[in-house]
Amino acid sequence: MAPREQDVLRRVGEASVLILVSLADGPKHGYALIQDVKQFAGVELGPGTLYGALDRLERLGLIESLPADERRHPYRITAPGAAALRVHLDSLERVSAAGRLRLQLGGA
Amino acid sequence: MMRAREAREGRLVDAALRCYPARWRRRHADEAAELAALLVRDGTPAASIAWSYLAGAAREWLAPRPGRSLSRVSAALLAAMCLLGFSAALVAETGPAKAAGTTQPPSGPVPLKVKPTPPSAGSGSPHQFTPCRLILPRQVTGAFPDAGRPRLSLQGAAHARSC
Repeated sequence: MAPREQDVLRRVGEASVLILVSLADGPKHGYALIQDVKQFAGVELGPGTLYGALDRLERLGLIESLPADERRHPYRITAPGAAALRVHLDSLERVSAAGRLRLQLGGA
Repeated sequence: MMRAREAREGRLVDAALRCYPARWRRRHADEAAELAALLVRDGTPAASIAWSYLAGAAREWLAPRPGRSLSRVSAALLAAMCLLGFSAALVAETGPAKAAGTTQPPSGPVPLKVKPTPPSAGSGSPHQFTPCRLILPRQVTGAFPDAGRPRLSLQGAAHARSC
């Protein structure tokens, strides 16, 4: 069995993963991120949670802030961020497939 | 009326934003205030936004930073807890002493009251005190007759008492 890449997003929390998913299709600022996450995941991110997650992701080098547009800072996913998101989604997919299979076999 | 409400909500959010460390405020404060204004305009209650920022500020203060290692934070917390425990122990220790102190004079040495012995036949002055004299154990007939050690007693006083 080939060694799997390390999933750095395993311990960063759900908000960080949702933000990375939202940034995967292009840069966004805080308000757009909150609206987008609410739309695709049904999760309402609080502004305090948002900035905590943005800071953490930026420290990890998974996102970067772009020059301010008026008072808003758009954020963009970096190449390591995209790679980490891919690894994490693969891992979630494996867990999801295993869960579905076992539910089928168990007849639950 | 509407403007006063907006101003009050703005103050609430500003107060929450002031709870963040200065480093965070320099970086995000303007943007965070603008985001709050947009969310309020969308119908999000200002109190909920302020609460979210407060929780975020608490997390920001508690999160370990490169220059402020987790062990240093833990050591500071431990030292604070030790100081609190020490203070509590001091308070607990002085409690009974204070309670006992209510039956005693407030301060200063307690004056020794000695009854003057009645003038004996041979003495000239009526207030002449007899000096302490060593009494052997067998002569002591007080509360601890068999203590087995010599005692000093005021001879001539109404009761034999140790000094």
